[in-house]
Amino acid sequence: MIPFEYRRADDVSAAVDTVARNPTASFLGGGTNLVDHLKLGVATPEHLVDVSRLPLDDIEPGPDGGLRIGATARNSDTAADPDVRSRYPVLAEALLSGASGQLRNLATVGGNLLQRTRCAYFQDVTTPCNKREPGTGCSALEGYQRYHAILGASRHCVATHPSDMAVAMVALDATVHVQGPNGSRSLPAEELHRLPGDEPERDTVLEHGELITAVELPPLPFAANSAYRKVRDRASYAFALVSVAAALDVDDAGTVRDVRIAFGGLAHKPWRAHRAEAALRGGPATDDRAARAAEAELENAEPLAGNAFKIPMARGALTATLRRLSPLPTTR
Amino acid sequence: MTSTVAGRTTAATANGVGSSPARPDGTRKVRGEFAYSSDLWHEDMLWGATLRSPHPHARITGVDVSAAVAVPGVHAVLTHGDVPGLNRYGLEHPDQPVLADDVVRYRGEPVAVVAADHPETAQRAMKLIEVTYDELEPVTDAEDAVHGDVAELHPGGNVVRHAPIRRGEQTPQADVVVTGRYEVGMQDQAFLGPESGLAVPDGHGGVDLYVATQWLHVDQQQIVAALGLTPEQVRLTLAGVGGAFGGREDLSMQIHASLLALYTGKPVKMVYNREESFYGHVHRHPATMYYEHGATRDGRLVHVTARIYLDGGAYASSTGAVVGNAATLGVGPYDVPNVSIDCWGTYTNNPPCGAMRGFGAVQAAFGYESQMDKLADACGLSPTEIRRRNAMSEGTVMPTGQTVDSAAPVAELLDRLEGMPLPQPGSTADLRTLPGGVSNTTHGEGVVRGVGYAVGIKNICFSEGFDDYSTARVRLAAVGGQPAVTVQTAAAEVGQGLVTILQQIIRTELGVEQVTILPMDTSIGSAGSTSASRQSYMTGGAVRAAALKVRGALLSHAATRLSRTTAELHLDGGKLASVADGVLADLVDVLGEAEFDETVEWRHRPTEALDPETGRGNAHVQYGFAAHRAVVDVDTELGLVKVVSLDCVQDVGKALNPQAVVGQIQGGSAQGLGLAVMEEIQTEGGVIRNPSFTDYLIPTVLDMPPMNIDVLELADPHAPYGLRGVGEPPTISSTPAIVAAIRAATGKELLRVPVRPDHIV
Amino acid sequence: MRVNLTVNGERRRADDVWEGESLLYVLRERLGLPGSKNACEQGECGSCTVYLDDVPACACLVAAGQAEGREVRTVEGLADGDALDPVQQSFVDAGAVQCGFCTPGLVVAAHDLLRREPDPSDEEIREALAGNLCRCTGYEKILDAVHSAAGAR
Repeated sequence: MIPFEYRRADDVSAAVDTVARNPTASFLGGGTNLVDHLKLGVATPEHLVDVSRLPLDDIEPGPDGGLRIGATARNSDTAADPDVRSRYPVLAEALLSGASGQLRNLATVGGNLLQRTRCAYFQDVTTPCNKREPGTGCSALEGYQRYHAILGASRHCVATHPSDMAVAMVALDATVHVQGPNGSRSLPAEELHRLPGDEPERDTVLEHGELITAVELPPLPFAANSAYRKVRDRASYAFALVSVAAALDVDDAGTVRDVRIAFGGLAHKPWRAHRAEAALRGGPATDDRAARAAEAELENAEPLAGNAFKIPMARGALTATLRRLSPLPTTR
Repeated sequence: MTSTVAGRTTAATANGVGSSPARPDGTRKVRGEFAYSSDLWHEDMLWGATLRSPHPHARITGVDVSAAVAVPGVHAVLTHGDVPGLNRYGLEHPDQPVLADDVVRYRGEPVAVVAADHPETAQRAMKLIEVTYDELEPVTDAEDAVHGDVAELHPGGNVVRHAPIRRGEQTPQADVVVTGRYEVGMQDQAFLGPESGLAVPDGHGGVDLYVATQWLHVDQQQIVAALGLTPEQVRLTLAGVGGAFGGREDLSMQIHASLLALYTGKPVKMVYNREESFYGHVHRHPATMYYEHGATRDGRLVHVTARIYLDGGAYASSTGAVVGNAATLGVGPYDVPNVSIDCWGTYTNNPPCGAMRGFGAVQAAFGYESQMDKLADACGLSPTEIRRRNAMSEGTVMPTGQTVDSAAPVAELLDRLEGMPLPQPGSTADLRTLPGGVSNTTHGEGVVRGVGYAVGIKNICFSEGFDDYSTARVRLAAVGGQPAVTVQTAAAEVGQGLVTILQQIIRTELGVEQVTILPMDTSIGSAGSTSASRQSYMTGGAVRAAALKVRGALLSHAATRLSRTTAELHLDGGKLASVADGVLADLVDVLGEAEFDETVEWRHRPTEALDPETGRGNAHVQYGFAAHRAVVDVDTELGLVKVVSLDCVQDVGKALNPQAVVGQIQGGSAQGLGLAVMEEIQTEGGVIRNPSFTDYLIPTVLDMPPMNIDVLELADPHAPYGLRGVGEPPTISSTPAIVAAIRAATGKELLRVPVRPDHIV
Repeated sequence: MRVNLTVNGERRRADDVWEGESLLYVLRERLGLPGSKNACEQGECGSCTVYLDDVPACACLVAAGQAEGREVRTVEGLADGDALDPVQQSFVDAGAVQCGFCTPGLVVAAHDLLRREPDPSDEEIREALAGNLCRCTGYEKILDAVHSAAGAR
C-alpha cells in the first residue's frame, strides 16, 4: 500500500472540489472494494476523500412518482426499504444476493455502482492487465476465463462488471445523478458503465471528480412483478457466473405488453437485453419464446475457450426468471 | 463404582472417557481472549515480511537489497547467504531452500525476508528488493514429469516416489470390465488462522519461538539445522492454532522469524495475509487416476488395475507418505484378489503439495468409488449391493498382504446408512432450501433429486515402519487441599479437542477432577504430529500410560501407609477404596506432601516398510472406515447443486468424547463437500489464480445440509480404550457420495472434482 | 493521525495511526483487543465482525479514519463480567467451538441475529450467518448453539 492522505468530507461540493483538483485523489465510500484494493496495491490513490458520511442516505419518493435513493444509503438499508421491496423487488433481491450481511451494512449505493471487476488478473498486480496498467496486455485472453465476458468485450479486456445491484438498476431504467466540478448532470444507468474498447481502464463514463449523489428509479408499475436470479458457484457470497434482472408486464390474454431484462456476468457492464425484450413483446412469455429471446440477445456472443457454458446458462436463467414472473401455466 | 474398559479397571468419575465435558479453552475462545499465534505481542517487537518469487521456475541472477535496507524503520533484510546452517528443510527430504539460492521452483517461493518496525514498512521495503531472474520453462503436468522429456527439477529426477502394489494374477480375466480416468483438483486446507508466530531472541544466541504448528519437534529439528544451533537453543511453544488440517505440518514462517530475531536481537512477529497463506503452505495433491475394475457377472471383484499420478509440486514435503497411502488403499475397503497399482508422486513447478486431511486416501476414493458405481451399473446391481458383495471385513487380506486384524464393518456401515430415513422431497416454501439458495435461482422447477453412497478407508497413525511415538508427563499432587493433576505433552491442539480428551483420560484413570493441561512446548519429548488421525491414539495412549504409572506408584505408597496390598486398592472419584471395605480415605489425605510424577514414551505396535517391488508389507497400524449417503437436488437448467442431506456412519472404536467425535465427522464431511462441488486452487502455468476466500470458495452455512451421524463403537483391541482415529475418514467418503448423487440426478459422467455448474448445464 | 472512538462503552484514543491501517488493525494492535480475528482481512470470512454503530460490519474493510467518532462493540464487549452472554455460553456448551478462529465473528453475528429475531428458524440462521466462514465444524453445532441461545434468552 502506498502512503496516502485521508480526509472526511463534510459537504458534496467540497468533496468534489478536492478530488477534481487532484488527479491522484479518490472518493472513498463504504470501503468494501476500495480498502481491499488499497491492500492489494490495485488502487494507489494519494488522497482519499471519505464521502461515506455525507448526508446523502435518504430513500424518498422521486418528483415523478418514482423512488430516489441517496448515494450513501447502505446496501442493507436499501434492500430493506419497504418501497424498494414492494415496488422494485428485483432491486432488493439483487442487493441481497451480493456479498454478506456485514458488507452490505458498509457498502453504499454509489460505491456499489463503481465497484471494479473481480478479474483475477486485475486483482494480481504481478500480471499484465490493461485495466490496471494500460498497455500491458490482457492476461485473461489466454488465461483463466470462467468469470469473463462473452458480450461486448475487446481484445484489450474481457473483464465483467461484478455488481448485482447495478444489473437491477439497468433493467429498471434508473437514472444516475452526478455532481462534478462543472455542476450536476443525470444519465441513464445503462449509460453509466461502458464497454472496454481500447480504454478498459475506464469502467464508467464519469469524469475524474464526478460524484454519484443519487439513483432515481422511475415509476414503473410493472416493476412490482420483477425478480433477480443469480447463478454462482456456492449458495452465498460468490460473484455471478450469470445473473438476470427482469420485470414483466403481461395482459389478461397472457401477451407480453412490456418487459425489462438485464444480464450480469456477461459483459464489462450490466447488459441491457433490448433484443430479448423486443423478441418477447407481443406474444406469450412461454419457455420457448424466452429461450429464443435469450438466443436473440446472445446471437453475437463471443465466448472464450473457458466460458462457453455461459450461453446455455444465461438462456436457462432467463427462461427460469420469466417463468417465475409469468402468470401463464408453464410449458416446457 | 468401577467399570471395565478394554480390560482394565478404571476409576469412575464425572467427565471421564465417554462423556462430553466442555473444552478447557472454550470460554476463552468465545470471549475473544484465547491467544492465537497472530495475536502475540512483545514490547519492542518488529514485523517480518517475505519476498516471494513471482515465477514458477527461474534462475536467480542477482539480488540487490540496498534500497530496502535504506528504508527508515527497517532492521534487517536477509537472503540465502544469511542462513547460517543448512539452507534446506523438508518433512521427509530436506530439499527446500529456507531462502532461494540459485533457482526458484514455484511461484511464491521465499527469496528474502525483511524485519521492520511496522508491518507496512516491512512490506514497502520488501518491494524495493531487486531480484533479477532468468525465467525457465515450468513443468506443470505430473504425467509429463514422470514420463515426458522435461527438465529435471531436482537431482535424481522428478519422481519423488513410485509405489507399486502387486497381488495375485497380473493378467486376470473378468466377465465385466469398467475403466475410467478421474481427476481431483488441488484442494486447500483453508484453515482460518493465518500462518503466524513470534520469535524472541534470548540474548545468548538462542531463540524462543511461539508458533501455530502441528508438530513442534519436527519444526525444531528443521529450524536447528537451518540456524546451525542446538535443540537446547531453539525452544518452541505452541501458540493458539486456528485450524490446521495438514497445512501446518510443513514449516512456513518458523525459520524466517527466528533468523530475523537472531539478526536483529529483537522479537519478530510474522503474520501472513490470506493471499500469502495460499502460497505459504502445501495443498492437497491434485491427482490423475486411471482405473480398471474387473468383476464376475454377479459383481464380485476379480481385479483392480490402477495408475495414479499425484502432483507434489516443487518440493517433496510429505509426498512419499501420500503416495504410500494412495497405493496401499487404492482399491478401497474391498476384498480384491488380483491387484496391480502403480502410484507416482512427482516434482513439478506447481505449488508444493503435502498433507491434507485424508491424504492419498481422499484422491484414490474418488477413483475407486466412481468405479464401483460404474461397475454396479454394468452388473445391474444397486450401488450398495455391489459394495456389500465386495466389502472387506475383519480378517480380509489387504493388497499389501496385511491381514485386517480388528473390526472392518464395511457392510454394516452401508446397512445402517440405508436404514436412515431419507429427507422428504423439498417444498418450494423456502428458497433457501433449494439449489442456489438465496440467489433465488430456482423455485423448484427443473429440480431433480439424486442419491449416492460411498465408503472410504484410511490408515490411522504413521505407517511403513516409522518410529511413531508420543511422550507424556503426568504429575499428581495435592494443591490447595484438592488432588490435582498436571499433564505435559508436546502434542499440538489445533482445535480438535485433544486438550479435553487428555483431561478425560486422567479423570478416568486417576479419579481426579482437577486436571491442568500445561502449555505444549519442546521442554518435553516429542508427541509426534497432529495428523494421520493419531493424537487420541498416540498422545491419549501416552497420557494414559503415564497415568497408570502414577496410579501404580500411588497405590503402592498408599498400601504401605495403610498396611494393605496394592491389589486390593483402587481409586474412585477422588477417594481411595478397597474392594472389601469400600472407601478408605480421601485421595488428598493419602497424598499428603507426596508427589507422583511419571514420564512415558509410548509407541504403537511396529509397522513394516513396503517391499519396493511388490508393495507387500504390514505397513499400517489401524484402519478407519466411514460411509456417507448424500442426497442432492440439482437444478438441471442452471447446473446448481444443493446437497440436501449428508449422512454418515463411522466406526470410531470408542468415542472418548462423543460430542467432539460428531464434530469431527461433521467438519470432515463438510471439507469433502467442498471438494465435491466447489473447492479448487486454480493454477495456470504454476501460478495460483484464486488466492483469496472470494475466489477460492469453501462451504458456507448455506451450502451445508443437515447431517445425521451414526457412530459405531467396535473396539480395536490393540488401541487405547479400543479407539479408532476419527478425523480423516469422514473427509474421504463424503466427496464420492455427493458426486454419485449428482450423477444419479443428472446422468452425467462427472469424472472430475470439483463438479461445477458448467459441468452440468 | 489520531483516531478517537468508543469501544465496548469506553472512550478510546489511538495515536500515530497510519492512514492505511484498518479498524481491525487499530483494535488488535493498538487498543489491545485481538479478539476480532484476521482470517482474510478482505471482508470474505466474517472473522473480524464487530458492531459498528450497532450494525455488524467487517472491521478489516473499515479504514482507520472512517472509525473516527464511532461506536464499536467487539466480542470482548459481549460478556457481563464473568457471566458469558447466552450466545457465548451456548457456543461452548453445544460444541460449536473447535479451533475457535471463526468464533468471535460468529458470536457477534449470532448475537445480532437474536436481537432482531429472538426465535429464528434454521433457514433464518443460515442466511444470517452466511457471511461467516467456519472450516472446522460443518456448521451443525453452530446451528444448535444459536437455537439453544435463543431458548436461553
